[in-house]
Amino acid sequence: MSSSGEEEPSFLDKLQQRSDGRNVNPALGTLLGEGAQQRVKDLDGANPARTVSSSIPSRSEVASADAPSYHGLAAIKQPVWIATVPAYLFVGGVAGAASLLGLVIDVLGEEELDPLARRCRQLGTVGDMVSAGLLIADLGRPERFLNMLRVFRPTSPMSIGSWVLALSGGLNTVGLVLGRSRGVLGVVGKISGYSAALLGMPLAGYTAVLLNNTAVPLWQATRRTLPPFFMASATASAGSLLSLFPHSPREEGVLRPYRLAGKTAELAMGYAVEHDARRAPEVARPLDEGVSGALWKASRACSVAGLVVDVLPGRQRWKQVAADLLTTVGAVTARFAVFHGGKASARDPQATFKPQRRGHGAAEVVPAHAVASDGKPFSFPLPVVR
Amino acid sequence: MSRKGFFTDSTTCIGCKACEVACKQWNQLPDDGFHFTGMSYDQTGDLGCSTWRHVAFVERPVPLPGHTTGVGDFSWLMVSDVCKHCQRAGCLEACPTGAIVRTEFDTVYVQPDVCNGCGYCVTACPFGVIDRRPDDGRAWKCTLCYDRLGDGMTPACAKACPTESIVYGDLDVLHERAENRVRELHEQGIISAYLYGKDAANQPGTGGLNAFFLLVDKPEVYNLPPDPVVPTMKAREAWSAVALGALGMAAVAVGAVLLGRRGSP
Repeated sequence: MSSSGEEEPSFLDKLQQRSDGRNVNPALGTLLGEGAQQRVKDLDGANPARTVSSSIPSRSEVASADAPSYHGLAAIKQPVWIATVPAYLFVGGVAGAASLLGLVIDVLGEEELDPLARRCRQLGTVGDMVSAGLLIADLGRPERFLNMLRVFRPTSPMSIGSWVLALSGGLNTVGLVLGRSRGVLGVVGKISGYSAALLGMPLAGYTAVLLNNTAVPLWQATRRTLPPFFMASATASAGSLLSLFPHSPREEGVLRPYRLAGKTAELAMGYAVEHDARRAPEVARPLDEGVSGALWKASRACSVAGLVVDVLPGRQRWKQVAADLLTTVGAVTARFAVFHGGKASARDPQATFKPQRRGHGAAEVVPAHAVASDGKPFSFPLPVVR
Repeated sequence: MSRKGFFTDSTTCIGCKACEVACKQWNQLPDDGFHFTGMSYDQTGDLGCSTWRHVAFVERPVPLPGHTTGVGDFSWLMVSDVCKHCQRAGCLEACPTGAIVRTEFDTVYVQPDVCNGCGYCVTACPFGVIDRRPDDGRAWKCTLCYDRLGDGMTPACAKACPTESIVYGDLDVLHERAENRVRELHEQGIISAYLYGKDAANQPGTGGLNAFFLLVDKPEVYNLPPDPVVPTMKAREAWSAVALGALGMAAVAVGAVLLGRRGSP
């Protein structure tokens, strides 16, 4: 902000400029604006240069009558989450499913199954702990993670999930620590463990709602099938991980049907998710193309292989390990595929625009709503007569 | 306090970007960097953490209906985009910390001292307005100059607008003004003029926008969604699916344990 004469900036000015990208001369004003608290370290990181659009604007895609967009830019923001979030989608699901199995074995199973129940609870507790770590790592201000428990907001799956995870983790830990005590402490431990196990079901399923309850086209479009897919996948991978630990033939009697049911349901629901997304071709595109498409196909292949190898005759240990590893890899890859697919569909403006024009926007949930915001009728359910 | 908002009339926008500059200066927002985009006169691209007003420039190969002056097959569309302060705000309904609140002016405000940067609001906004700054870690968006409103002042962008393309005021007054303007334009032959997001009847997915627009082409042309919906409206189906899934999970666990018991020697 130097005026005439091009004075050399003072040492203080240089310091200010280095620490602050606002280019506000401290001599001219105090930093009291609403945006003045914004911490600035890396200007280019926050505003990376775009590839320069070299088309003639009046003849570019902007002008195309059937699929207009603003210079091809994304209509919504890409999710800012990092890889710890899809990792959590997997770990949280496993923790929830394992805790639930622990409870059912405790209530219905015989004494010989107790070691398995204990392993389930351990897996659940460790999973809850790791989940919390993964989520905190994703926060922009990790030191403020406790703000998550500042309010309870039923409209926000993130808020519901934070409470579920916090309660499930806490209760599971209490259950594990006090589970073998006698007297009142033992009862408290048992009740805690059981409550945590019941919370395992929403823990495995809410992670899908977390994605569904967004403006991201792929995630919003799969809201009927993604939760059961995640829950089936959680069951399959919990079964597989528990089978990887050494276990008795009696325990295998429980784990085998559990695992196989989970793997079958995962395959079926994965197909349903794909079918759901394909209602709009623009929305399903990330499942076919690019990194997310490759991940999705790999995950489908691993899941199929995991099930096939598992049901092949013969009970060799190596075969079992291979099947369980394949299923686990498939489940992890599926989470990353859905995550990156969502990012890709957020980048594509037509994935937002076209389905809304066909009546997949607010018109889906507001029955009497028959025209878009510009007064044009939807082409759904009847074609537009011009 | 009455409901406040913006009426942005794209037909009087001259693309001077005074609103962008005034917003940056008043709020002391950081630099966006000096990047050349090649997209007409738009060097900002979109709204973001440090851009709370953004002027969109569209060069169309068709004339505006009713226009009698200017060069043949060409028309300019310019509009100053801003946070819409929706009646059903996706960001607010998604915020797990309570950092995003509705103010006494019926606007949507992010409290920077509460936000922990979970990034959920970024995915929940159907307009792609709010964004998380990577080096700051928190989500930022237009405050509708909450600090100025408290003192009875006009927001910086509306104050700076030289053509009254951006008008700030009570929503009732703005609605009347906007409807008169549309009527006036229709009489002039610009029949494509319409109001975007004026109320719930026009945009049930958001319950109406406190910052609404007068546009003359499809919303997509200005990078606005044609039928936006707050994600929460569709969450019921997802939660029902979770309930079904929970039943399935429990059934599989119970079935497996019973099978294991019965099948045992």
